[in-house]
Amino acid sequence: MKKRIIVIIVTVITLLTIGSYLISERLNAYQDIEEVIEQEFRTLRQYVEDVYAIEYLDDDRALVFYSWDFPAYYNFGVMELEKTWRGWQFVEAISNRMERKTAWVKGTYAEITDRVILRGPVSGNAEEIVIITDDGREYRPEIGRAEWQMWYLILEDEPFEEATFILYDSDGEVLREEVLQFDLNWPE
Amino acid sequence: MNLSLKYRVLMIVVFAIFIGVFLYYYGTKARQEQAVAEELREYSYIAREYALDAIYKSTEFPVEVELYPSAHTEAILERWKAISDRYPELDYPEAAIEARDWIEVHKSFEDTDLLNGVIRKMYKDATVTSEGLGVSYITLLDYIFYQKYEASNIEDVVIDLGIEPSREEE
Repeated sequence: MKKRIIVIIVTVITLLTIGSYLISERLNAYQDIEEVIEQEFRTLRQYVEDVYAIEYLDDDRALVFYSWDFPAYYNFGVMELEKTWRGWQFVEAISNRMERKTAWVKGTYAEITDRVILRGPVSGNAEEIVIITDDGREYRPEIGRAEWQMWYLILEDEPFEEATFILYDSDGEVLREEVLQFDLNWPE
Repeated sequence: MNLSLKYRVLMIVVFAIFIGVFLYYYGTKARQEQAVAEELREYSYIAREYALDAIYKSTEFPVEVELYPSAHTEAILERWKAISDRYPELDYPEAAIEARDWIEVHKSFEDTDLLNGVIRKMYKDATVTSEGLGVSYITLLDYIFYQKYEASNIEDVVIDLGIEPSREEE
């Protein structure tokens, strides 16, 4: 009899605890990605931030491209979010310091979960970028606009160590050609 | 309801335990969240000041953040070392920098009296007047971290002391 009562008590407590935990998690779940992004920046303390683009890798994975730190916004970040039953959740964030100053274009290599991402600031005059790798591959990275302009490329094939960046203005004229190097071993 | 006293007591005990577990869980969670926020604030501050690259692997308990020096970090360290070479009272913690223990590294700037002493000495040695410019340890920090010359004539001082090349040479 005594044993049965203890079993009942333990079961009830366990169920109530698990139940209330699940309910509170569900109630706290953020479904709106913009809200989650804001919340994550507050958590990371990376204010004041600027979002350049949100790229959806599939229905429940997203990459957020941003830069932070008022007033210069020289810390260029990428953050991965994943949608779970608890709403959008933080997976990983990488922030790289890239002071553009007089440079036309800068770039850095990073791996976030299983993706290779190249990104960096680019001059505000550049409307389009064509990247030509030393083994002849050609890419057209996206350009996001906010405080600065940020180009980014989510690479699906082999990463490259060196490439020529051709910057075009809004009339399609070549503004500048730059060769950028990428440290594929970063951050080691 | 015709419950015996025994069952009523039992129910009260069950709820008391449940509430106890609940309060304990949320108390611990609140304390943990506060500690996590504190830690993340420190990382973000250090990353910003030292122009570091950062990888955030976990923003929940336990926090996991990796910091790496960027090219801009090297420039900060160079300015710092140049001043420390001449004014050794300003510590340049080589071991902590080597170990990338940035939080430890930043402790060198805790003593503002010492920093005020260094900047005063610099002005004295360079025979540059700081009168009316409100020069303080902030001027020194602005120079080391941001190479900021504005609001003071620290540029004249560092050029005069040979810490920076003169403007013509550039």
